[in-house]
Amino acid sequence: MNILASYNWIKEHVKTNISAEEFAKEFSLRSMSVESIDHCGAHFEKMVVGVVQSVAAHPNADRLRVAMVDIGEGVVPIVCGGTNLAEKMRVFVALPGARVRWHGGADWTTLEQASIRGVDSVGMICAPAEVGFDKVACGDHEIWDLSGITDASVGTPIAQALDCDDTIFDIEITTNRPDAMGIIGLAREAAVAVGGEFLQMRTLPLTKGESEGVSVRLEDKRCERYMAAVVTGVSVQKSPWWMQKRLLLAGLKPINCIVDITNYVLLELGQPMHAFDASSIAQNTIMVRPGKEGESLTLLDGKAVKLDSSIMVIADAEKPLALAGIMGGKDSGTTMKTTTVIFEAATFDALTIRRSARAMDVASDAQLLFEKGLSPSALPVALARAVELVIQIAGGTVTDVIDVYPTPRIPKRFPFNPERVRSRIGVAIPDAEQVNILTKLGFDLQKDGDTTMMTVPYWREDDIEGEVDFTEEVARMYGYHMMPAVLPASRPPASFDDATLDWAAWTKRFLASAGFSEFFSNSMVSVSDLEMYGVSPKDALAVFNPLSTDLTHMRPTLIPSVLRAIERNQALTHTASIFELSRVYLPHEGQLPEERMMLVFGEYGGADAEKTFMRLRGVLEYFAAKSGIAFTFERDGENDHWHSGRTAFVFRNGERVGIVGQVGSDFQTSFGIHRPVFLAEINLEALFPHMKHTHRYEALPAFPVVTRDIALLVDERTDFEKIVAVVRGAGALITDCRVVELYRGEEIPAGKKSVTLGVTLMASDRTLTSQDVDDVMATVIRELALRVDGVIRG
Amino acid sequence: MNDVFLQLQQEALAVFLKIQTLEELEAARVEYLGRKGRLAETMKELAALDESARRDAGKTANDVKRTVEASFAATEARVVAGAAEARQAQEWLDVSLPGTVPAVGHVHLTTQAIDEITNIFRHIGFVRSRHPEVDWDYYAFESLNMPKDHPARDEWETFFVGENGEVATGEKGKIVLTPHTSNGQVREMEKGELPIRMVSIGKCYRRQATARHLPMFHQFEGLMIDKHVTVTELKGVFDYFVKRYFGANRETRLRPFHFRFTEPSFELDISCAVCNGTAKVDGAKCKLCKGGWLELGGAGMVHPNVLKAGGLDPNEYTGFAFGWGVERTMMMRSGINIDDIRTLYKNDLRFLKQF
Repeated sequence: MNILASYNWIKEHVKTNISAEEFAKEFSLRSMSVESIDHCGAHFEKMVVGVVQSVAAHPNADRLRVAMVDIGEGVVPIVCGGTNLAEKMRVFVALPGARVRWHGGADWTTLEQASIRGVDSVGMICAPAEVGFDKVACGDHEIWDLSGITDASVGTPIAQALDCDDTIFDIEITTNRPDAMGIIGLAREAAVAVGGEFLQMRTLPLTKGESEGVSVRLEDKRCERYMAAVVTGVSVQKSPWWMQKRLLLAGLKPINCIVDITNYVLLELGQPMHAFDASSIAQNTIMVRPGKEGESLTLLDGKAVKLDSSIMVIADAEKPLALAGIMGGKDSGTTMKTTTVIFEAATFDALTIRRSARAMDVASDAQLLFEKGLSPSALPVALARAVELVIQIAGGTVTDVIDVYPTPRIPKRFPFNPERVRSRIGVAIPDAEQVNILTKLGFDLQKDGDTTMMTVPYWREDDIEGEVDFTEEVARMYGYHMMPAVLPASRPPASFDDATLDWAAWTKRFLASAGFSEFFSNSMVSVSDLEMYGVSPKDALAVFNPLSTDLTHMRPTLIPSVLRAIERNQALTHTASIFELSRVYLPHEGQLPEERMMLVFGEYGGADAEKTFMRLRGVLEYFAAKSGIAFTFERDGENDHWHSGRTAFVFRNGERVGIVGQVGSDFQTSFGIHRPVFLAEINLEALFPHMKHTHRYEALPAFPVVTRDIALLVDERTDFEKIVAVVRGAGALITDCRVVELYRGEEIPAGKKSVTLGVTLMASDRTLTSQDVDDVMATVIRELALRVDGVIRG
Repeated sequence: MNDVFLQLQQEALAVFLKIQTLEELEAARVEYLGRKGRLAETMKELAALDESARRDAGKTANDVKRTVEASFAATEARVVAGAAEARQAQEWLDVSLPGTVPAVGHVHLTTQAIDEITNIFRHIGFVRSRHPEVDWDYYAFESLNMPKDHPARDEWETFFVGENGEVATGEKGKIVLTPHTSNGQVREMEKGELPIRMVSIGKCYRRQATARHLPMFHQFEGLMIDKHVTVTELKGVFDYFVKRYFGANRETRLRPFHFRFTEPSFELDISCAVCNGTAKVDGAKCKLCKGGWLELGGAGMVHPNVLKAGGLDPNEYTGFAFGWGVERTMMMRSGINIDDIRTLYKNDLRFLKQF
């Protein structure tokens, strides 16, 4: 949460003279982060107070008039469309060179002296929104009437006249520090972080007069304390400019002086309050109670909500009036006609506020603070401050002051050990300095026998949970920037790198070196992605609160994502080698899913199925060889997802670990892919335990090897594996048999293929003679004829 | 006879001098030095001479042969060199042709960043651990000092697992898509192997999808636990990483912040590379940073309650933890200025092949 905090206001409570920039820097380093600095004065350059001397019709435009305006240096003509423009009016004049927003639009432009429909105009008479005061009430097509806001003489610069020569800090307040969501809290922090004496706020004591008979009944334990003050005889009006200005600079909208006072106290003390019009409360009775089924309430913002017992309400004897701690009701708030006001200052259970606001989708500044946890001890000061302000601004007298606080809190105390603080930080910060920091922040030190105890100030009750929190207070105020940076010199860790992650990284590098580029897809997929790939959403982990219908399930397979990516690329990149390596999530009822590292790689858009397949298989074989494992391949004729004639299962040591082949044409079509896609899908998780970097050395041959090529004509559907087996069986001298060329063409009959084999022969004890080789090759040829019906060509 | 040899020598040397081409060279070799060349043929005539004349002429013949051979060798060297020169004069290629790109693939930017980050931490003894990406909310929140319904949980915009109106639950609570890698902290402690110096890098999920936030992104989590680990050591490790990853000229700072699972907590900032930490570019406000600093991520000393959840005695052990987004970190360094972070995971090969 952020607060827009006035530096002038902060300086009323901490004695400092340093520049806003310096303040922001020091404050950020030790307290809360100042995210931006806005020098308001800069917005009002070339803007002055003017007084309208005369108003005349514009000769060429019905809706425009020409005002003669005294701007101090003289009287100038200004063309103006303001419907409320009148003689003697004090107006906001922007002179040429000023930055304004036309009609409150988004863009700031620099005013120039201009001729408007043939009449010279020296600047502009502004509406509030045109100079950045969007939240100042002002009618459509009206200009800002400064009468009653400032009596500065004509020509006075606006920053001075409106007392806006201030600096606004946008400060991010961490959720544990609602106490810093107010000027007083910020000043207290600043006194330590930046330096300077903290000047505590003083309020007049709350004293009650003759009772109006208002009573409060606490019928819901989720309200810890409820205070109310009744003020009669108030005259509700607009707030004085100084108060409006502070609300405006903090981003709040002035309403009437009563509502403004509650907001002012919120800004000052960080304590939300509410004000009721006493005349709207039946039987002068305020009840804090659970909502009832069937009840409903129309809120200030016009929204109607249904109530139940999970929601805490403020009610009178007959009906609910407000959502406790969240928002007031439309009918019980103060108006210009209100004469008796009931101010409420209460502490509500943080969790209840949080749950109710979420359930009803209602948000407010009050609710944001209450759900962070506020202390009941903050109420008397806030209430006294509100009463003091209302008497000052709207008159009236206090009749009733009510305080219902069944179980007062006992201040929290924790042992404080400066030595432990030092050892956690690693810097020798002396005891006295530590105590000084904590005391200035409001902590109270006591000796309890041998133990030193620190009492936590009420405004930090929810935040400080134990001794360790003192370390943070001391460390940050000492300054992290003052501490040295030291590399750990201690023992190395007991564990080693996770091997599966190492192998996954290795696999990615291997594939990139083999020419494959990495896809990286969202693990969340849609039902249609799954169904298009024939996976039932029931077999995937469902996201309970998906962001959109595109991202409803955690993928149990990478292939739909890969197919989708191929479809997106095919028009611009016609063919490519790609891979994705990621965990997939496999559901297990009542358990965490199995997170299995899977690899999919392949090629799309290639023209030659046989070559593509051989390349993928080659990558797999080389991958296996490099990682100390071995794959075998077996034709898959049944799998629905794959092309039945062009797919093989991949085995390691008898265990099926993957598949390689052409994606079934149905699935390719369903994803809108025009050309064949060949993929390999490998369960890396099953391989990881067996992968190793050790390589065996094989002695280089001592005698020459001989290679003979033969071209063999066989049936198209003769497996190469079978041919190799025959060749290898033909003699112990044969050490290898490879494919040199596969050919189908004019000279080859239909249904046949020519396989050129490269046969390698070697003896381990001598150089082979050509007779040796001829003899073996004759056997090879004979066996091939016999066993695979092979005919030697040429 | 001597004269015959000497004349032959003179003739041969004269012919050799004029030779220009490899063809002429070969013809001259055959004519004078070949097996049936003129020198050989003339030497055969020696057999017909008497002993003393043969000895005399034989000596001359040998001298002549050596001289002719030497001359031929020099000629050959000259001609071959000349021929090579002539060939080079003929041969030419267009060196302005573009290079052919090697057919290598491309590892995704995110993978590259993960590898680099891992390696930097490896240098100072951190090992990489693997932890679940779908986990019990116990590990994502409770064990991290965020009890059920704690408002701090809101900051994580968490995805839950479940369907038909029911969140999936089991032995350790609800099942969530982990919104941060900090779920690995207590899991790492539960292994019972101390001291710990871990980095865990994994996918995280949050309910957000904007030009700056992705529903799926990566974080890296660092955790160091031992006796007497201090804030100053966290500062040292952070400094080391920043200077290695972003460059030695980058400054770092720790700024107080609040996280439930660390105490003290801070945010880690690095000086802005665009304005060099001055917050001004050409006199105007730097658009990239806040006051010369960029926020990198969160860190802090592990909260005693978290140590307890991990089965460790907070009086004996202390530690620090840090964690921040891989994508954010990588974008902050590389200056690739991807306007829309979603581009990273659109799988457009034209994009992927740039890296």
